[in-house]
Amino acid sequence: MKLDHQFELSRRTLLGSALGFGALALNGIMAAEEPALPDGKPHFTPKAKRVIWLFMRGGVSHMESFDPKPALNKFAGKSIGETPYESVLDASKIRKLRIPIKGDANGHTRTKIFPMQTGFGKNGQSGIELSDWFPHIRSCADDIAFIRSMWTSDNNHGAQVQFHSGRHFLDPRVPTIGAWINYGLGSLSDNLPQFINIGPRFFDKKDAHYLGPAYDAVNLKIDPKNPLDYAKPDNSILAVDQRKNLELINRLNGLAAERYPLDPIIEARMKSYELAFRMQTAVPEALDFTQESGETKKLYGLDQQETKAFGQQLLAARRLSERGVRFIQIMHGDGAAGAWDNHSGLKNGHARLSRQVDQPTAALLKDLKRRGLLEDTIVVFATEFGRTPGSQGADGRDHHSFGFSVWMAGGGIRGGVVNGATDELGYHAVEDPHYVTDVHATINHLMGINPHKLEVPGHKRLEMDFGHVIREIIA
Amino acid sequence: MTRLFAIFLFTTGIASAGAVEYLRDIKPVLKERCYACHGALKQKAGLRVDSAANLRKGSRDGDVLALGQAVEGKLLARLLSPDLDERMPPEGAPLKAAEIAAIREWIAVGAPVPSNETAEADPREHWAFQVPRRASLPGKAANPVDDLIESRLAKRGLKGQPPAERTILIRRLYLDLLGLPPNREQLRDERPWELIVDELLASPHYGERWARHWMDIWRYSDWYGLGDEVRDSQKQLWRWRDWIVSSLNENKGYDQMIREMLAADEIAPTDLSAIAATGFLARSYFKFNRTTWLDNTVEHTSKAFMGLTMNCAKCHDHKYDPIDHLDYYKFRAIFEPYQVRVDVMPGELDLMKNGISRVYDGNPDAVTYLHERGDESKADKDQKISAGPPAFFRSGWESPQEVALPLEAWRPDMRNFAQQGYLAQERAKVSEAENQLEKLKQTKAAQDKRQTPPSEIVVGESVFVDDFSKLRPKLWETTGDDWRFQDGAYSIIEPSLDKAFLRSKIKHPRDFELSLSFQTTGGKKWKSAGIRFDVDESGENSHFVYTSVGGGKVHLAHTVDGKDHYTQAVAKRPIKLNQKYTLNLKIRDTLINVALDGEFLFSFNLPRREPGLVQLLAYDAVVDFYEIEVRHLPSQVVLQKASDNPTESTVTVEAIELADAKLKHAKAEYAFARARIDADNATYRNKGNGSAETAGRRQLEAKLAQARVDLFDTKKSANAQMTIKKLEEDLEEGRFPGYEPLPLSKVSLVKTPNKDALPVEGGYPKSSTGRRTALANWLTHRDHPLTARVAVNHIWLRHFGVPLVETVSDFGLRAPKPLHHDLLDHLAVEFMESGWDMKQLHRLLLTSKTWQRSSSNLAAYKRSLAADPGNHHYWRMNSRRMEAQVVRDSLLYLGGTLDSTMGGPSVTPSPGERRRSLYFFHSRDGRSKFLSTFDDADVFACYRRGESVVPQQALAMMNSQTATASAKQIASVFDADLSAEEFVRAAFFKILARQPADSELAECLSYLKKQPKREHFIHALINLNDFMMIR
Repeated sequence: MKLDHQFELSRRTLLGSALGFGALALNGIMAAEEPALPDGKPHFTPKAKRVIWLFMRGGVSHMESFDPKPALNKFAGKSIGETPYESVLDASKIRKLRIPIKGDANGHTRTKIFPMQTGFGKNGQSGIELSDWFPHIRSCADDIAFIRSMWTSDNNHGAQVQFHSGRHFLDPRVPTIGAWINYGLGSLSDNLPQFINIGPRFFDKKDAHYLGPAYDAVNLKIDPKNPLDYAKPDNSILAVDQRKNLELINRLNGLAAERYPLDPIIEARMKSYELAFRMQTAVPEALDFTQESGETKKLYGLDQQETKAFGQQLLAARRLSERGVRFIQIMHGDGAAGAWDNHSGLKNGHARLSRQVDQPTAALLKDLKRRGLLEDTIVVFATEFGRTPGSQGADGRDHHSFGFSVWMAGGGIRGGVVNGATDELGYHAVEDPHYVTDVHATINHLMGINPHKLEVPGHKRLEMDFGHVIREIIA
Repeated sequence: MTRLFAIFLFTTGIASAGAVEYLRDIKPVLKERCYACHGALKQKAGLRVDSAANLRKGSRDGDVLALGQAVEGKLLARLLSPDLDERMPPEGAPLKAAEIAAIREWIAVGAPVPSNETAEADPREHWAFQVPRRASLPGKAANPVDDLIESRLAKRGLKGQPPAERTILIRRLYLDLLGLPPNREQLRDERPWELIVDELLASPHYGERWARHWMDIWRYSDWYGLGDEVRDSQKQLWRWRDWIVSSLNENKGYDQMIREMLAADEIAPTDLSAIAATGFLARSYFKFNRTTWLDNTVEHTSKAFMGLTMNCAKCHDHKYDPIDHLDYYKFRAIFEPYQVRVDVMPGELDLMKNGISRVYDGNPDAVTYLHERGDESKADKDQKISAGPPAFFRSGWESPQEVALPLEAWRPDMRNFAQQGYLAQERAKVSEAENQLEKLKQTKAAQDKRQTPPSEIVVGESVFVDDFSKLRPKLWETTGDDWRFQDGAYSIIEPSLDKAFLRSKIKHPRDFELSLSFQTTGGKKWKSAGIRFDVDESGENSHFVYTSVGGGKVHLAHTVDGKDHYTQAVAKRPIKLNQKYTLNLKIRDTLINVALDGEFLFSFNLPRREPGLVQLLAYDAVVDFYEIEVRHLPSQVVLQKASDNPTESTVTVEAIELADAKLKHAKAEYAFARARIDADNATYRNKGNGSAETAGRRQLEAKLAQARVDLFDTKKSANAQMTIKKLEEDLEEGRFPGYEPLPLSKVSLVKTPNKDALPVEGGYPKSSTGRRTALANWLTHRDHPLTARVAVNHIWLRHFGVPLVETVSDFGLRAPKPLHHDLLDHLAVEFMESGWDMKQLHRLLLTSKTWQRSSSNLAAYKRSLAADPGNHHYWRMNSRRMEAQVVRDSLLYLGGTLDSTMGGPSVTPSPGERRRSLYFFHSRDGRSKFLSTFDDADVFACYRRGESVVPQQALAMMNSQTATASAKQIASVFDADLSAEEFVRAAFFKILARQPADSELAECLSYLKKQPKREHFIHALINLNDFMMIR
């Protein structure tokens, strides 16, 4: 069947956009007076093609990861009021928080200074000081831009949603950065979804919201036998039978076009079946590590119990990137709040969790680099907020939203730099403070997207939703 | 200098496309950034910038352009001001340099006024804000839809398609009205069309099908929360869903439906079936923030019923529509007093299981303030805002009249069924206690014959005790991240499969006694909690005893090399959620005795033992652990020997005494129930001779009886003794407390109820503000310009696949006058004048020629195709994809396995579930995966479903159990003796409502030669586009 270009298709029929093919193929037949879908092309020349988004759920302590604060050791056990930095508690400096759970035991001001629970040191030419819990990431510091001046406005874990969407948990749900990228850009693959999530989610399990479910992340599990919902026949339907059925389905759909000529849905449906069939093979193939060398598996830590789970996810991320997935979102840390939420036992907790992620994360950077993929892949390492410089209980830290750290590397990002800073106690982002959407803006910029052009009528975005490009870290 | 620079910019930049053109380069910028305050809606400083002529007129203070002057005028000065308080526009980024340059240049050349430029239209003139009027019908067709559509087609020189094939049309009708496909006989129905339409409108499935549409628009969501804590929406919200279904089936007027949803508690305060409608407002309940709750109420009440984006005025005046910032809070004030509570329903009295979540004005004095910039922390307390609609739309609004509520509305426990039900419940408890006592006595008698040694109560030396008031790292090793201290307990807050636990660092002795107090508050299925002992260093070997809510038992099991082995030592008994239990183990050598709350359950010989660590166990459960005690087991304590039948428990004298005390307590509670009902009736109904004093006395007696039961509980006995002493004194001296009402209404089912909504002494408020009634009356007023139009548009959308007004939830100024404006208005008037009769509207649409047209382009009139390829003139029908619910329901229905039971609590989605999809639990975190794949409604808001075509849908249809099992089931309906051709024809007819074309038949026959399994063929057919589509 041949499509006639003057035929229109409702904008609501977001054809196969999970694979992106529809946005490209059918844009030409969109009604002129209806707001057109993006054409899938970048708005300007991009520096990066894809994103691997690593998100540590629960809140990683910035002081014990990427923003060491020796003053904490100096004043350990003292109250903040007894230090020269008393002014961090000035009401004027406290950014306004919107508190979703009043009276929660967590999310309080903690004033008794808790020393750093690990040492720190430097590596590489850049000489950036990082904690001893991340020795492998430290070894990649020259490829990474650290942002030490993030802030957010929710001091509870709804901030996980906020980091992805830019909106506070009390606001209406809006699309996340992954959904926007999926919506704005065309597909890099005929066989794979463009937006994939691996790992646990809790506060919001959807991404696209008003963009429509076609732009939600497709959830994958690291299980080549059952990686994706409905990827395998529920009962013992044989592949050969399925192939026969697929042929019949597509032939009959094609014949129905005689009854319903110039119906674009028919072709969309036929394509979706072919793609679905290919996805059934392509997704398990992408997650099948048998072709990977022993050296690579070791690099990602697949040979060690502690690093295996995250290592597999990151190796999968690399394989999915190679195969044309646009946005790979990986969530680390089980539980409702997220594993990094060490209100007590921070030393044990963070030491263990950082062991789980450190080696695989560095492996991902190295592996992408040696395969030439790092230059057009943005790797983000983020968390919803930091943790309090003061202690909670005997040995924990509480949620801290006034200053925390994330980092970015790869496609178009300058390596070996630090942008922004917190004060001596790690309390406030004092230099180049960045709201969470600045990370989104930077990604959009590198991917060649002008987010203003993607706005959907009836869903006005606010200035804060767009954020500002962090120019200082752009190569 | 500046000017030169600007000209330079101008000549190199914009000029390349010609001279600065006001209409092209300036007007759109002003429209986007300035009209909201300086246009038709508002003229701040007396300035309008919505036309060149208006710009030249200047502001209240005079000229702003300074034409021909050396100094720049006020307009440019304000645009360029570095002072943020001065700079225009005040919000967002300043105008871009090129935009300002264009304005400067336009002024420099004398601000020419384009001919025929129109200023912004007056919002009062906006089409959707006019009272709808009947169209003047051309009178060429009987049905007004056809009359208007046909005349517009004729005017454009277009011709419509003929009606669809009869069977396709019948399928379309069944799917449209019932959401279920027709069977073979129905497909062959030759009766007149009107008759079939009426028959389907009378089917109860009509209500189910259309309820789901309205549930989208009214954003139905089942409750969401952690454990039993409700965070969003409400439990029992299904009663509102059932109300929607039955209201539609009864053909209740849409106006009446609005009135009941917004204000049934005021207009029908004792009618529980109407009050279920207030689920619409109860759904917006949000635990954490009242402003978020009310924001949702305001936004979605106005979008659903009026198509107004009131939400845009939360922080500032609406940018497009005549709704200012204050209007938003006036609208909020209508809802400010409302709260949610759960009242008793007939039958089961447990509010968790059978209550009704409904709204009421719980806080009539709550004050509304304007929030500056929408920030609730910046409430302007100088001005108390009164309730009302936006000033612009005030017509038809009548001031709220306070509604005095009847007794049963503010004292739901005094409803007759509640009083009678409560008495019956207490009576049943008495009989149960009697039976229990009798049973124990008999067992004891039988057991006494066998003679068992008495046991002494001796407490051994402590090994360790922990009341879990804080983490004791010396004592415990913690695994898992979901442990929290809360409410005096150490709680595991996320269910895991025994992956999170506390393991002692201290070993227990060989012979020991262990007591563990805990309660289970949630979990998915098993909800098991208990204790492991003899845990070795690897954790791979241990014994464990646990209670299971899901299994209804206390069970002993072993873990050997990481594998669990269950013993026959099991006591079947209900274990309740949210009830504190104390599990007691006594272990001597290999013999173990297990008791729960002091009641001996079983004894058992453990196969082998090695004293080890103890470990708290939570398997698929959310558990609060309160206390653990581990003690040496003194030699004088006598253990029950393991019997051949470990579950046969031993009855002690104490057990009999306890049962007797429980019986006395049950009787005392019954007497108290009786007395307080008598007292209530005497006080509030002036009936009978009950008195508060008697009720108070009975309440004391019941408490006393309870304390006497508590004496048997080692933990409570000390307290109980003191209580008894005090209560006996009170009784003697006649000190009776005020009695409490029957516990048959709660403001919330959560642990920390909303303080704004607590009942005051003697019940809930005795009157309601009447604000919501006023709102409902205003919305349904004949002159309200929006309500009927919005409803008609929604109904049209769901029959025709596209709406008459594209933006179904925004009829404001951004919605241009629709092509079929006359038709929309005509239908709106018809709708209102028919008494808001929805079935009548369906009938009108479905009997139109327009609706019955073929959806195919085949043999279409060339000009129709060429001039209107988008079918905006309805020269053909639109094909639509079945909604998620219709896909699944059709699959089950075709296979004959759809369970047609109507109503009741939502059911958990699962592939084996047979109920209609409408009854599936549908909330933020509990949704059907299968339905989600097909653009199921977003629980936050869904004014219009998506119709995506994505590969995941193909995967679901190829691989899900729902699809594969249905294919098998549908195949089984066909006679196996049919020839291949007969089978193909029958299958096409059943599944696609048509015969195959020759080419299709040939394709199918050749397939069946290669693939004789007919279920595979059926599986292919349900994957066809023609099945997925409503043609």
